[in-house]
Amino acid sequence: MSAEKAKKTVPYTVPIGPVHPALKEPVMFTFGMEGEIVRTVDFAPGQTHRGIEWMGMRRNPVQIVHLTDRICGICGIVHSLSFARAVEQIAEIEVPERADYIRTILHELERIQSHLLWAGVAAHELGFDSLFYLAWRVREQSMDLIENLTGNRVNYGIVQIGGVRRDISDEQRALVEKGLDYYQGLLDQMATLFLKDSTILMRCRGHGILSGDDARLLCTVGPTARASGLNMDVRQDYPYCAYGDLDVKAILPPPETGGPQGDVYDRIIVRLLEVGQSIGIIRQCLGQLPAGEILWEPKMAKLLSVLKKAEGEGIGRVEAPRGECMHYVKMAGKEAPDSWKVKASSYSNLMSWIPMLQGEQLADIPIIVASIDPCLSCTDRVAVTRNGQSDILTKEDLTRLSREKTRRMMQ
Amino acid sequence: MNATPYLTPQQIIDRFSARFGNGLTEAKVTERGEGTRKVKAYNLWFRIDREQLRPAIEELIAIRFPHLAVIAGNDLGTDIELLYIFSVFYGQKFGEYMVTIAIRLPKSDLTVPTITDLIPGALFSEREKQEFFGITVTGIPDGRRLFLPEDFPKGVYPWRKDETGIPPEMIKNLWEVDRPKDRPVPPIPEKAPAPEGKKEGGESP
Amino acid sequence: MKIPTSFNRSLWVFHLNTGSCNGCEIEIVATITPRYDPERFGIRLVGSPKHADVLLVTGPVTKKMAPRVRRVFEQVPDPKVVMCIGTCGQSGGVFYDSYNLDGPIDQVIPVDVYVPGCPPRPEAIVFGVVKALQKLERLEAEQ
Repeated sequence: MSAEKAKKTVPYTVPIGPVHPALKEPVMFTFGMEGEIVRTVDFAPGQTHRGIEWMGMRRNPVQIVHLTDRICGICGIVHSLSFARAVEQIAEIEVPERADYIRTILHELERIQSHLLWAGVAAHELGFDSLFYLAWRVREQSMDLIENLTGNRVNYGIVQIGGVRRDISDEQRALVEKGLDYYQGLLDQMATLFLKDSTILMRCRGHGILSGDDARLLCTVGPTARASGLNMDVRQDYPYCAYGDLDVKAILPPPETGGPQGDVYDRIIVRLLEVGQSIGIIRQCLGQLPAGEILWEPKMAKLLSVLKKAEGEGIGRVEAPRGECMHYVKMAGKEAPDSWKVKASSYSNLMSWIPMLQGEQLADIPIIVASIDPCLSCTDRVAVTRNGQSDILTKEDLTRLSREKTRRMMQ
Repeated sequence: MNATPYLTPQQIIDRFSARFGNGLTEAKVTERGEGTRKVKAYNLWFRIDREQLRPAIEELIAIRFPHLAVIAGNDLGTDIELLYIFSVFYGQKFGEYMVTIAIRLPKSDLTVPTITDLIPGALFSEREKQEFFGITVTGIPDGRRLFLPEDFPKGVYPWRKDETGIPPEMIKNLWEVDRPKDRPVPPIPEKAPAPEGKKEGGESP
Repeated sequence: MKIPTSFNRSLWVFHLNTGSCNGCEIEIVATITPRYDPERFGIRLVGSPKHADVLLVTGPVTKKMAPRVRRVFEQVPDPKVVMCIGTCGQSGGVFYDSYNLDGPIDQVIPVDVYVPGCPPRPEAIVFGVVKALQKLERLEAEQ
């Protein structure tokens, strides 16, 4: 992992400019190259460390829920949901059933918009800008639904300890059903566009392979692990919210496309199929929505006084679009929690970059890095040593190389 | 890989008690059910001695290869407690358990052996605990800083609650920057009573 | 209102993330998608600060990123407009007391236009860009 080989790599501290649309936290990569092939990979995260867990230990749980909303902007509801569930376990708060179902509906809507976002980014890395714009245009429909239900496009602010803050009325239900019909009709088209296209097949099949054993040992989660054949999905294994009443199966690459091979193409398949699964889940939830209240305790002062006396430890786990998101909370009878640990899903997936990138070509790096859907993103500058000479490539250069390769392969 | 039989939580606890006896200071199961059918999900909590950490993890691997979620930590005054949070039996519908193995490190001797030879995916978590709690993980293949910047002062460990925690001079209150100090804070106006009927969402220019 | 002559009818935007949660990033990218379509005005995202006219900065500045923000700011050629998107760059937002943050963005580089919101809607970002153009017009007229 570190540069122990004879080739000298020059890790630069470089002015970071996430050059790319949809690029998130900058990560510094250092590759050791031999010709066009990557030999060693090293990366350093940490550019967006804001001290969230430390800040959380100075605030009361209701304030922390608002902080968790902003840990990551793309994972809208997952952090607040995990944290709220952990605290509910400690304080033994019973969430009303209607709130569980509303949480599930929003959870799945978020999954749809996150996968469509990723589909656009992947297409952009390969050079298909029109597909990128198409996918994001389609995503706007789900953003409209989310805005209608929660009041905001990003950072929903709907989870409260003990339930949800807003209810779903009948007009909103009709709107959601209409939106789902729109997506149902669109899904086949998107599947054809992505999966039957020969260029995507050429670029993605057989690249960025993560074997099943590697995935297990490196503790990967989410679609990255499922594409490598691991049968893990928190909704199926460790039921939370309304999933205990539904029948959710982990989606693995089906035998029609060759079974799980662990490459980039499999990850595309898993994500697209999950969008279809989410549509079905939302329909089921809307059909089974129980009546009742939405909050365990609407009065804030009473809720805070209950939380102040709570003691114990709790673990809240949900299946984010990228994998398993887990929060560990320990409360000891004070206003602020004693201890709080956040594990975002990309935390577990980052280490899988190393076996995936070894032996690949330089022009394949953008799509492989984007294929695990990192919430910390690819850097803009990469220090590359080729034949003893070091070279700084910007993200623009890497993307240009990636697109040129597509054009070469299409001839 | 899936040749090992499926166990109930009590069976796992019995197996651990049988193997570790007095080394196991505490073992309990908590459960929670959500949704309409209230299908139960189980968490197991074990507290063991520091020397038994690696045998305990090997025992868990023998039960079924676990998935390491994260290593969490607590500052308990004289000790630091490390919690290794695993999940076993994934793939079994509604049948996964969270198993937490907690050990205590006295602050006078903050070392713990690495588990990256058993589970390579633990590397990130161990590096993070090194820089945030000041513990030393013996045998770690790559002990560099992970999240904190290189020029972060050595000896300051953000998650500790004693004197090595963040000193007040390092905290920056961003909301105070540039706030004028020569005049009092403006009074908050009284909230006008809501008009009759639904309030229209205002068009902000 | 017309685009100032120094820009030749197109405005190139460079986006810099100083440690934000990516909510503002998503809204900035959503702004260039076909629904709001600023490309018909000639506004596009570019890959290098040396090509840019407008610098969009998001996020509270983490300690690691502060020197890089300054370097990027110096690389953008004059005349330039710096826009701060999102509340965390203006007053810290939810991260109002942290040990690893170097302060609101205007402590690090001078800012011309502020677009508050967490995250601001794409319409608000477009409005912010329009304000930036008006400011540039005024600056040009003064010269």
